[in-house]
Amino acid sequence: MFNAVSKSPWVVHFNCNSCNGCDIEFLACLTPHYDVERFGILHIGNPKHADVLVVTGSVNNRNARVLQNVYNQIPDPKVVVAMGVCTSSGGVFAGCYNILGGVDIVIPVDVFVPGCPPRPEAMIDGIVKAVGILERKRKGEVFPTAPKPTHTFKPSEEQSAEKTEIKEEKTV
Amino acid sequence: MMDKINWTQWIIIAVSLVAAPFIGALISGLDRKVTARMQGRKGPPVIQPFYDIIKLFSKQPIALHKLQILYAFLHLVFMMLVVVLLAMGQDLLMILFAHAFSTICLVLGGMSVRSPYSRIGSMRKIMQMLAYEPILILIIVAIYLQTDSFLASSVMDMTKPMLWSMPLLFLAFLCAVAIKLNKSPFDVSTSHHAHQELIKGITVEYAGPYLGIIEIAHFYETAILFFIIMVFWQTNLYIGFGLETLAFVAILILDNTFSRLTTTWMLKYMWSIPLFLSIANIIWLWSK
Amino acid sequence: MEITNFNVLLAVLILVPVVFGVVAYFSPWDKLRSLSIVLCSVIVAAAGILITIEPNNTFELPGSEMIATILEVGIVAVILFIAVKIKNWLIILMSLVQMGVIIAEIILANAGHTVAHTYDFATDPLTKILILITSIVGPIIAVYAIGYMKSHQEHAPPTAASLGQFFFFFIAFLGFMNGLVMANNLKWFSFFWEATTLCSYMLIGQDGGESKKNAERALLINTFGGTAMVIGVLWLVVENKTESFEGLLLAKAVIPMVLLCVAAFTKSALLPFQSWLLGAMIAPTPVSALLHSATMVKAGSYLVLRVTPGFHDSTKVMMVITFIGALTFAGAALLAVTQSNAKRVLAYSTISNLGLVVACAGINTPLAYAAALAIICFHAISKGLLFLCVGRIEQKIGSRDIEDMGGILYRMPVTTSVALIGMMSMLLPPFGMLLSKWMAIEATIRSPLILIFIILGSALTVFFWSKWIGRIQTSSYHPKFNKETMDPAMGFSLITLALGVLLTGVGSMWIFNKFFAPITEQVFKGRTDISDVLWSVFTAAGNFAAVTLFVAVGIAFLAYWLLVWRRFKETDVRLPYLCGENAESTVYTTSAFHNSEGTRSYAFRSMGDKIENSWSSTTYLKNFICEKKATIWLNLIAWVIIIILLGEAHLL
Repeated sequence: MFNAVSKSPWVVHFNCNSCNGCDIEFLACLTPHYDVERFGILHIGNPKHADVLVVTGSVNNRNARVLQNVYNQIPDPKVVVAMGVCTSSGGVFAGCYNILGGVDIVIPVDVFVPGCPPRPEAMIDGIVKAVGILERKRKGEVFPTAPKPTHTFKPSEEQSAEKTEIKEEKTV
Repeated sequence: MMDKINWTQWIIIAVSLVAAPFIGALISGLDRKVTARMQGRKGPPVIQPFYDIIKLFSKQPIALHKLQILYAFLHLVFMMLVVVLLAMGQDLLMILFAHAFSTICLVLGGMSVRSPYSRIGSMRKIMQMLAYEPILILIIVAIYLQTDSFLASSVMDMTKPMLWSMPLLFLAFLCAVAIKLNKSPFDVSTSHHAHQELIKGITVEYAGPYLGIIEIAHFYETAILFFIIMVFWQTNLYIGFGLETLAFVAILILDNTFSRLTTTWMLKYMWSIPLFLSIANIIWLWSK
Repeated sequence: MEITNFNVLLAVLILVPVVFGVVAYFSPWDKLRSLSIVLCSVIVAAAGILITIEPNNTFELPGSEMIATILEVGIVAVILFIAVKIKNWLIILMSLVQMGVIIAEIILANAGHTVAHTYDFATDPLTKILILITSIVGPIIAVYAIGYMKSHQEHAPPTAASLGQFFFFFIAFLGFMNGLVMANNLKWFSFFWEATTLCSYMLIGQDGGESKKNAERALLINTFGGTAMVIGVLWLVVENKTESFEGLLLAKAVIPMVLLCVAAFTKSALLPFQSWLLGAMIAPTPVSALLHSATMVKAGSYLVLRVTPGFHDSTKVMMVITFIGALTFAGAALLAVTQSNAKRVLAYSTISNLGLVVACAGINTPLAYAAALAIICFHAISKGLLFLCVGRIEQKIGSRDIEDMGGILYRMPVTTSVALIGMMSMLLPPFGMLLSKWMAIEATIRSPLILIFIILGSALTVFFWSKWIGRIQTSSYHPKFNKETMDPAMGFSLITLALGVLLTGVGSMWIFNKFFAPITEQVFKGRTDISDVLWSVFTAAGNFAAVTLFVAVGIAFLAYWLLVWRRFKETDVRLPYLCGENAESTVYTTSAFHNSEGTRSYAFRSMGDKIENSWSSTTYLKNFICEKKATIWLNLIAWVIIIILLGEAHLL
């Protein structure tokens, strides 16, 4: 029997403590403009029916337990796609008193999609990559979890010089 | 009785048993494709339900306990039995009861787990059954009044198409089909789109291969219902096929234009207008 | 009078229970009483089976006129005495009327008014079916009662009557019921009828206190029926000079028949007489099982079945009788939907099924008659079983409410499985009740008005049974089931009746073809008004391939056993979906699932990590159907129909 899991990945979506920006962009993927249903992707509300867990927002003391619960209810093989920068480092909420950090503290993540919020194209890219991993998991490969994204935006030399000039002009 | 079945009939039974889920799956796939086109997008391929089923059977078989799985099996086997009985041309009322048994098994499977969504979905499914069963029995009564027999095979002996003598019953039957296929405005117990009200209702605690079994049973049910619509013009099955297509499009338009309404509305509506139409049709047939 | 096998068996069936009842009353030790009950049960069961095998026979008792009259006077006197004690003027009035009627008959007999004298007792196939039910299901329930009453008496209020009195009426009732179905002479019939009323009164009032009122109501309504019956018999004696069923059917006397039917309606608790049966549910469960579902209320439908085949010419009367039956069927089903008290649900379901039997009897075609017989048989076994299960469950969990019955699958697996078999047998193919309901729908096809009621009734029936079945088998995962300890007497009865349900379910078409079909053919032979179409529907029903249903169930169970039963591992178990907020442990360990079965709640974590309990109830449609108002309306319509019935018979 050929591998059908890549032709029909069903997605359950969980919002940890996101500002809803990533969620809205994800829901935009379901609209006719981007239409992920043509890949067979269905937005299922129930983890027991799902293959892909899409997580947004970062983990705090309260929803760590809930995220773990939802993850446990998804039958194997499953993949986790972490959308947005909040899921890897905490994003704009990093360092808050209640934020534990990224989602990979609680569950193993397969794909990180950086952005704040990531564009729908980037999200679809991430899900397609996750579905590829899902297919290989279905065949029995053991897959390591994804490394956290390390790239952060650093302004170039010219841009730093521009900023210093503007500052000096103002003080004068 | 069993010794009266000859080889032809065995072949017909076997072919129907194997072909029905394929036909049902294709109808489901077509449903999703046409819905997508209506909404201005491309939509999944028509054979998408096949991918879904194969994927479901490759998932880990998790469940809440063993009893609910038994109910899933009973649900599927009795839906297959309905196909077999139809192919054998057996008593229509018994076919209806076998179908009801199948649905009740699904309901009991939903109620056998300690899950609130599942329980509410099951209660609503029972109310759906309460809503459409009178109409189905009245259709069988109408068939008896015309052919003096309860056997399904007697329908093919009628000279005039059934639609001519049972037009109001046909309209009521379309409402019943919409309820059974869980189409808006009647998709109160479970539905195919992510409805956040009930999180999938009855099937919420089924996963993997067990969900696959329930989906296959749903394909059987779809095939049976559309076959019955086709048989409403049994004298010329090509026109019957056209009737079927019209009904399919009508139900799809109904699904896409209406939003979900409440269970109480469904019960009140089905026990007033379609029931009234059906009774009027029966009285007309009886007085002929 | 010679001593033949038949005569001996007849005497055994009627007299032995009464004798053992007296023994039970006077026995000082519990063990002696239990032993005598078991002995009586065995003898009665054996006698019942033997008399069924015997060919049909009749029996004339010498001096029966005098004996029957003395007994009748006696029983009416007892009821009058009770009525005086409880100061119920209506019952006193009716008993006096009955006494007057009997005295009038004595005077008539002495004045030389001759009456055609025929045999007093007879067995024919219809009788045999009821004897089998009374003699087999009855003793099983009696054995159950031994175990049940032991613990019942420990919790009984101080006003409760003694166990001796209880068992006297309980066991003697079996004899009275046997006598009732075997009586051909209407005098004997009315005696046994009133005797069962008396037993019912004493048994309902067993616990004293509140139940006395319900017992009084039962006595009132049943005495009303008894009065109608004796007036009918008097009419028959005066007008047609006969006093037997045979004579009634030969003379085609409509007025006595209608009066007998009214009596039957009161005994079978059809609308508008159903309130006594609902009140009778306060009695201990064995009483409800024996009297108020399996046997006594069947006496009414038996009476209707016996008299209606001869009256197919009076079409209007038949139509009205059918209409009452159909109205009861749909009305009681409607009211059952709103009930959450288990015994009241069972009571309404009984009333509903008895209505269906009467409706089928009124239709008067072969298939309808066979359907009525089938419903009587299968319903007796299933409903008796269900009452026994409810009694056991009530003793264990202390509540009669359906909502409290969640989670019993783990605590009492045997009882719950038996209850599941019983409930499924009321509702689902391939069991007998469904086959009989199927035949009933096919039989009523030519009368649209009746058909509408039957369709609505069956849809509602599915509704309230599914709710209940769903509730009792809600459970969590347990690797092993609890070992259930049960009183051996109760266990024996439950298992035997469950096996009976299964066997009669499997063999339902066989039973139909071997017993009901010949009876029907015999009753309907020579009837010129039955068309070929009706006969062909009858034979087609008998030829139904029920084996396909069993094959399907077998395949499902086989597939389940092969694919799931042994392969399902504990690591495959998951928590139910409560949006991730399950209060039970989120880390998957074994101990998480062995929490106490909160029968009503789903515990989840709410704001501030506080554990809340949610509860989703089943639908009782209380916003649509108010039981009181619906009952008032239904009773009103039913009284109008009864008056129409009496009018059609030219009584008004």
